[in-house]
Amino acid sequence: MSGALVGCFYALMALGFSMVLGVTRAFNLAHGELVVLGGYVGYWLWAGSGLPPLLLLPVAAAAVLPLGLLWQWLLERVPEPRELNSLAVTFGLSLLLQTLMRALWQGDYRLIADPVLTASLRLGPVSLNLGRVLVAAAALLVVGLLWLGLTRTRWGRAVRATSIDAQAAALLGIDVDAAARTTFLLALGLSGATGVLFATLHYIYPAAGVELTLMAIVLTIWAGVGRLRSILVAGILLGIIEAVSAAWAGPRWRETAVALLLLGSLLARSGGLAPGMSGAGHGR
Amino acid sequence: MARWLGALAGAILLALLPVLLGFQPYALYLLASAFLWASVASAWNLLAYAGQISFGHAAFFGLGAYAGALSSLAGLSPWGAVLLGGLAGAGGAALIGLASQRLRGAYLALATLAYAEVCRGIVLNWSDVTGGGAGLIGIPALPAMAWLPAPITRGRAAGYYAALAILLAVLVLFALILRSRVGLAWAAVREEEARASVLGLRPLPWKLLAFALSGAFTGLGGALYAHLVRVVEPDLVFNRYYSILPLVMATFGGLHTLLGPAAAAVGLFLLSELVLHPIDPALNQLGYALALILGVLYWPGGLMGLLGRRRRVHP
Amino acid sequence: MVGLLGPNGSGKSTLFDVLGGLLTPTAGEVWFRGERVTGRPPWVIGRLGLGRTFQIPRPFAGLSVLDSVLVGVTFRRRDRYRRTADRRREAERLLVLVGLGDKCGARATELSLGQMKRLELAMALSSRPSLLFLDELASGLSPRGREDVLLFYGRLRERGLTIFAIEHAFGVLARVADRMLVLDQGQIVADGPPAAVLASARVAEAYLGEEDP
Repeated sequence: MSGALVGCFYALMALGFSMVLGVTRAFNLAHGELVVLGGYVGYWLWAGSGLPPLLLLPVAAAAVLPLGLLWQWLLERVPEPRELNSLAVTFGLSLLLQTLMRALWQGDYRLIADPVLTASLRLGPVSLNLGRVLVAAAALLVVGLLWLGLTRTRWGRAVRATSIDAQAAALLGIDVDAAARTTFLLALGLSGATGVLFATLHYIYPAAGVELTLMAIVLTIWAGVGRLRSILVAGILLGIIEAVSAAWAGPRWRETAVALLLLGSLLARSGGLAPGMSGAGHGR
Repeated sequence: MARWLGALAGAILLALLPVLLGFQPYALYLLASAFLWASVASAWNLLAYAGQISFGHAAFFGLGAYAGALSSLAGLSPWGAVLLGGLAGAGGAALIGLASQRLRGAYLALATLAYAEVCRGIVLNWSDVTGGGAGLIGIPALPAMAWLPAPITRGRAAGYYAALAILLAVLVLFALILRSRVGLAWAAVREEEARASVLGLRPLPWKLLAFALSGAFTGLGGALYAHLVRVVEPDLVFNRYYSILPLVMATFGGLHTLLGPAAAAVGLFLLSELVLHPIDPALNQLGYALALILGVLYWPGGLMGLLGRRRRVHP
Repeated sequence: MVGLLGPNGSGKSTLFDVLGGLLTPTAGEVWFRGERVTGRPPWVIGRLGLGRTFQIPRPFAGLSVLDSVLVGVTFRRRDRYRRTADRRREAERLLVLVGLGDKCGARATELSLGQMKRLELAMALSSRPSLLFLDELASGLSPRGREDVLLFYGRLRERGLTIFAIEHAFGVLARVADRMLVLDQGQIVADGPPAAVLASARVAEAYLGEEDP
């Protein structure tokens, strides 16, 4: 049960990655680091002001948001093949961010340990950690808002059209660049906000982003690019798998398990992610 | 023919270099490390020449390092341990090569990345065998070899000559390959795998060969590293940073060229060690990260398409 | 020699892909020389004796013209004992055959379209096929170029090769083919000697709206 709650969070976390990939065909390997950055912002704000972490979500989002423009600027300039080269650039970016964070804040582990979050909530026979419930609720709320935005607004339709076929969308008069820009801003803001949630669930340290990025990729593969509801399901599934395996093999293996899942998913899929993209050749 | 003579002259010069430097330990250590990374960069280049871009070479490096360290600590001669590291690297590489044969481009790169993480995780958590997060210490240094004159194999000189030997080996091998049917097969698979297949070329064995060779030399480098530094840790030798290094070095030096990656590796390494590192250790990583970002963005064709003057083609 | 015709998008090149192993069919079987080759990888079928060209030439970028042909010569079967010099000579002979003898050292990417199509043909021949799939050799060429292609078709037939050729224009194939198939939206709508096919109403209907054949 607890795994399912965490799963909602994972889904939210993966959205930023998935959106960028869907709309711009660019892999953002620095995704995890951006989330961790949001987490640090949230942490320092919380430590300094004592405000409830949930209120800090928008602040952290706003802090990371400007980076969205930088990311877009950089990734626009990536030459073909887009997928591979964006992977390389963001690989470098992730190392850059990690190094910066380590230089600024050292490798100490930090946690937003608000007492409210560690309380328990009784739901019938089940006892749940309140913090996780709140995180899951927040995650679901944000996902819901996002879904509304994507399906009900003009902007949302533009983004979805671009993600399916950018050329066709351009021909239809959709401003593809604006859609991309909005996506980047939204994705990175989302990552920043997610970071705060992450910091309440888990210790943050500069290298924590690696695992998150891997998870985001796994979920994107499982759910298909940019498919909101599928990602939610996939996230919950992952959360449950993780909880079960942690109980069975011990928590130390978590990062490795995610990496294994990624490897397995890639090998099983042996194909492309976004519509119209194919990663598989025919040579055997 | 002239090229081979030139290469021989260069090799002899490098072999005599320690004498010129008076066997100064730090200089030898520095150069040994530089040659080591040049070997790894060249090994990466080998695989890239066959069209397989790897983002997870740290896996082979780490596997080699640990295989070398463990066998050395178990009593095997350090020289043998280094060779064993090469084997481990080759095996690990062949494994991922086989598993990922249907993957291309970014997906292959991701798979190698994930593979490196998996290897790191396994080594990290299998504490009984690998010493876990604390790693292994007290790895013996390379010993003098009785049948060679003492100055050559004593202390830092042993590491220097070992690294030089590995570097020369990978370069000579690559040069031979470029002229042979292996090079032709690799180039064909790289450029148009489907078309090559239509012509009757079965891609898999050639890709596996590339993986194995690349992994072997990277593993040799890792094992040598273990014996130079004499300490290994999972977070060190399996670090993504060590996956980025050969990538950047090879790209800067000239993808698919023979000497480019090695030259760039030596240059970049010495630059970062002598200039950046003393200012601030973090600058090292920053430097390479920036180099990668700028290199992909502003080098024409990005990672895959460095068609410069120096690009060598199968004759 | 069998010709394959059809309007754009009817699936002609796709048929080549499926027969050659580049695509796996969802239904049906492919047989070659009495062997079931459905779903086998392209190199297996290639080694059994199939050669093909691609409509949009796919040369090996970065390789020289000679090397591009050398690939097929070197890897078509498992014989590894022939000397390099012999293989190079064979590759050169093939290039002379298609009229590219003077371009051996050039980069494949430096060629004109007509020259690239010749290179495609040389590459297809390099694996010593018994069956050749030729994909729109004549399209995009000048009338003079088309005449050259016709000459090639004739010469290839003389060498005993079985040819399955796709062309967009009737005229080219009608003069050399023994049998013609017409494809429309993935279905065969005609199959017979050229004269009969040309006269078929169904075929005209398939091409309605297309340029003059």
